[in-house]
Amino acid sequence: MAATRRLQKELQDLRSSGIRAFRDVQVDESNILYWVGLIVPDNPPYNKGAFKIEINYPAEYPFKPPKIIFKTKIYHPNIDEKGQVCLPIISAENWKPATKTEQVIQALVALVNDPEPDHPLRADLAEEFVKDKRKFIKNAEDFTRKHSEKRPAD
Amino acid sequence: MSSGQVTQPQAEIDSAAAQDELTLKQQEAIDKEISSTIPLVGDRECVTNLLPEYESDLVYKDKILEISKTYEFFRRMRPDGNCFFRAFCYGSIERVLGNPGAIQEYRDRLVASKDILKATGFTQFTVEDFYDTFLDVLDKAAEGLAANELLKLFQEQSLADYLVVYLRILTSAELRKSAEFYSNFIEGDRTLEEFCQLEVEPMYKESDHIHITALTTALGVGVKVIYMDRGLGGQHEFPDPENIAPAIYLLYRPGHYDILYPKGT
Repeated sequence: MAATRRLQKELQDLRSSGIRAFRDVQVDESNILYWVGLIVPDNPPYNKGAFKIEINYPAEYPFKPPKIIFKTKIYHPNIDEKGQVCLPIISAENWKPATKTEQVIQALVALVNDPEPDHPLRADLAEEFVKDKRKFIKNAEDFTRKHSEKRPAD
Repeated sequence: MSSGQVTQPQAEIDSAAAQDELTLKQQEAIDKEISSTIPLVGDRECVTNLLPEYESDLVYKDKILEISKTYEFFRRMRPDGNCFFRAFCYGSIERVLGNPGAIQEYRDRLVASKDILKATGFTQFTVEDFYDTFLDVLDKAAEGLAANELLKLFQEQSLADYLVVYLRILTSAELRKSAEFYSNFIEGDRTLEEFCQLEVEPMYKESDHIHITALTTALGVGVKVIYMDRGLGGQHEFPDPENIAPAIYLLYRPGHYDILYPKGT
């Protein structure tokens, strides 16, 4: 119940603030614990596509952090093939109940735009990113072209 | 493929992740067991009820008997890392129940505490939620909330947790407000900011002297802690015994706080 009230406020807040890098937020009226949205990165090699994510809030929210899964495949050192992402702000250890979803999204967008090869979920991509940046950019661009979603028109 | 200097091999990451997952599951099982057997806030009971827990331990037995001369009753808190904050919260509201003047005074202090948050940048609406919940409980107290009703409220996890979050944020804000002073007490090479982020604001992180000093200062509610450990034990008043007389008494056992009640209260 606490989760519902809080999430309704957060959703309203997020929609009115209109982050350009996070669009098309959809929430099923019957289940406010499950959101989907589109990450629209600014930096190459991801700025030619958009990436669908889902956010799962636990019933204990805001005392336990939400989980984020990429539904669109992405060539990124910090996001694995299952779409799992390692984001410190929503780790069980660091989670703070006053953290807003908007802050989580901002941290996520920052990570997508600027990969952190020192804390990878995919060691092979992190290595390529560090050792052969040009090859990484090219692979990631090809991958983005092939798998990503269409970016919103405006 | 040569193994990178900067990155770990994938197998290592996977097995570390699997290990983390196992540890997490085990911890969850332990937490579940604790939460199903020990309420967030328990009933008042005799201090001497602690004796059977230390059957073969003369040092502790003596200390319990010593403490029971001054403090007749105690109230257990669930040992979940939030025990200091919940004990403070429960104790501070319980002591004003049935006293409209004291409730109003506490309410005024709580309202004033919001200025500390504002001054230190805690302005997001999510913070308001926790604050409003705290205010609601005090308003219920003003309408004549009974002691057993207060206990019931605190046994509701989401409500009790909301109150704890507010006190954690307020503690963090107070530490930041007087950063120059409190920085002296941060151990290791962490900054005060890091300490607040990692040890104060997240739930389930245990409290130390510095948390107690900051919170009692922020709300102007004094706390006396009676230590029951293998050392010299003793007691300590927060924040500063010269300015604020203790309003709440806490029993400290290593890693844990419960509420104590002096004889005749």
